[in-house]
Amino acid sequence: MTNRCILQMALLLCFCTVALSRNYNLLRSQLRSSNSACQNLLRQLNGTYCREDRMNFEVPEEIEQPQQLQKEDAVLVIYEMLRQTLGIFRRNFASTGWNETIVERLRAEVHLQMDRLETNVDEITEKENFTWENTPVPHVRKYYARIVQYLKAKKYSRCAWTTVQAEILRNFSFLTGLLDYLQN
Amino acid sequence: MLALLGAMALVLVAGAPWVLPAAAGGTNLESPRDVEVYIVDDSFILKWNRGSESLSNVTFSVDYQIPEMDDWTELPGCQYITSTQCDFSSLQLNVYDELKLRIRAEKGNNTSPWYEVDSFIPFHKAQIGPPEVHLEAEDKAIIINISPPGTKDGVMWAMDSSSFIYNLVIWKNSSPAEERTETVYPTDKIYKLSPETTYCLKVKARLRMQRKVGLYSPVYCINTTVENKLPPPENIQIDGNNQNYILKWDYKYENLTFQAQWLHAYLKKIPGKHADKWKQIPDCENVKTTQCVFPQSVFSRGIYFIRVQASNGNSTSLWSEEKKFDTEIQTIILPPVINLKPVNDSLRVYIGAPKESENKSVDEDYPLIYEIIFWENTSNIQNKIVEKKTDFTFRNLKPLTVYCVRARALIHYEKWNKSSGFSDTVCEKTKPGNTSKTLLIIAVICAVLLSIPVVVYVVKVVLRCVKYVFFPSSKPPSAVDECFSEHLLKNLLLSTSAEQIERCFIIENTNAIAAVEETNDVDEDYKKYNSQTSQDSGNYSNEEDNSGSGISEELLLQETL
Repeated sequence: MTNRCILQMALLLCFCTVALSRNYNLLRSQLRSSNSACQNLLRQLNGTYCREDRMNFEVPEEIEQPQQLQKEDAVLVIYEMLRQTLGIFRRNFASTGWNETIVERLRAEVHLQMDRLETNVDEITEKENFTWENTPVPHVRKYYARIVQYLKAKKYSRCAWTTVQAEILRNFSFLTGLLDYLQN
Repeated sequence: MLALLGAMALVLVAGAPWVLPAAAGGTNLESPRDVEVYIVDDSFILKWNRGSESLSNVTFSVDYQIPEMDDWTELPGCQYITSTQCDFSSLQLNVYDELKLRIRAEKGNNTSPWYEVDSFIPFHKAQIGPPEVHLEAEDKAIIINISPPGTKDGVMWAMDSSSFIYNLVIWKNSSPAEERTETVYPTDKIYKLSPETTYCLKVKARLRMQRKVGLYSPVYCINTTVENKLPPPENIQIDGNNQNYILKWDYKYENLTFQAQWLHAYLKKIPGKHADKWKQIPDCENVKTTQCVFPQSVFSRGIYFIRVQASNGNSTSLWSEEKKFDTEIQTIILPPVINLKPVNDSLRVYIGAPKESENKSVDEDYPLIYEIIFWENTSNIQNKIVEKKTDFTFRNLKPLTVYCVRARALIHYEKWNKSSGFSDTVCEKTKPGNTSKTLLIIAVICAVLLSIPVVVYVVKVVLRCVKYVFFPSSKPPSAVDECFSEHLLKNLLLSTSAEQIERCFIIENTNAIAAVEETNDVDEDYKKYNSQTSQDSGNYSNEEDNSGSGISEELLLQETL
């Protein structure tokens, strides 16, 4: 009787572990699939590359090399990147002649990823000793602030948008790296 | 000389108090106290208190420093001011950079020492101000449109405008104690209200990640309208089926046409009016039934809102409640299949997959959990549990009692409240408890008792075999022993046959014997042959198979001779 109980407990533990890890892997695979979709959509947005509008936005190290991050910080960084990307693609891109439908679909995909992460983000931010200032998020925001300031300064010109599009496309590959890092 | 020195010393000592205050910049001026920075949205205000003496004609000046600057700079709008606060909102600051401030009091040529405020980052110190709310009343709902805190071109929340979450508190003007709190989007609707009633509400904004809670807006009151003749459609459901989506709703009346619209979900999180962003769902325009079917290709992967409106030609109803639609989970989850197995005083439950599954197999993609309802057949009390496992046991039940179980599957994915219908109810009777336990114990004891002698016997046999093979006895049996000691050394190696041979000697005349002796040295073989024929001819001719043994016996004989 006891042995059976112990066996059942062990099975339950295994199942839970499997179930939980399956759940997290499920989230990760969903995000990765959406991430690829975003990259494909971005590539469809054509633009003229203007040499004089080149800009080094100084990508933060946390985005380029997530290995030093804690897993929770990685989740927050991913969420912030998605949020800022959504914000950027809501701005005025009339000068580019881009297909509105494609941009809409891009926004929808990014928003979908954010939606999937929201519960995790809530869990992390609601912890008692959580301080936003101690996370890499302010650093990431400053980076995106530089991009937005650049767009404003260049008056949302076509060349500026092409530079920004290339930067965001590169960010999506960093996002893939961050998502891979999340895998336990 | 001494007197001169003394006088000089006196002058120096007397003069010192005059000199030192002059170097310090004022005799009595104290630095301002209780200096605080108040930041609400884009408004930056510095407040302080005067020193202990409230002197007239004292002015205050403030300097600031940001990381790019090497030195302090005068803060515009805060130089030689007489009041105890100053507004420096006009300064175009980077709200994420550290800011240093210092303040001093001045009177004429006298100045107090600088009081330095601890350096801070404006964004971290900023308080969220009240949001602006626009309301539009319907009969049973209020449409709200919230503008984020701060000004439109404000810098403080420029990067957060879409992150604000709004908490709304609403109450009937006639009963202020009965409040309802809801979390709302910037563009949203409050439902379930009564027509022709005055409602009042206030809203505050929150930033989740920065853990900032804003100030409440002022209270806004509005009257709901007269009840509309045509009610809005209700209970919108969307289900996936092969390559299509089926949109269904309920409606009280008949002979009306309906239309359905959709909106990208993320637009609701963005402040501003999105009335024009709703789009028609194809195949769902002017439909006469309370459902419409459209291809799945209409919606690319994402989250949307759907609303339906009824029309009778002359007038239209108001829009239904907006139904959230996530393309990734629009499948029907079929109810599971339950199997019960009584085991002693427990009931083992097996939850199986439904018989048929739709095109998108939800179970593979998303983990399911099960809500199980369990009750004694004769009682009304139902127990509800939630289980992840598909195989578990209810223990400590009454014996010989009928228990019933039914279950439904839920998608175990946070806020996706999608569930299947309930399975069929399955009932089973538990086994007789204690009796079977006793029987089992008796059976076990009997088995153990019976098996002991059997085991002992088997062990004995095995030991015997082992002993026989590996530890044979060194004492041979008695029969062997007698012959063994006499003949072993002589016969063991040489005799190949155990057969006894009668040794016969034929005595011939002496001549034959002498001839044998003469030829002794010449030829051994010849010698043997002759002696053999002379002595064992009888043996040789009668028994041929003994020839070998006969020869060997002769050899032995000759050697002994």
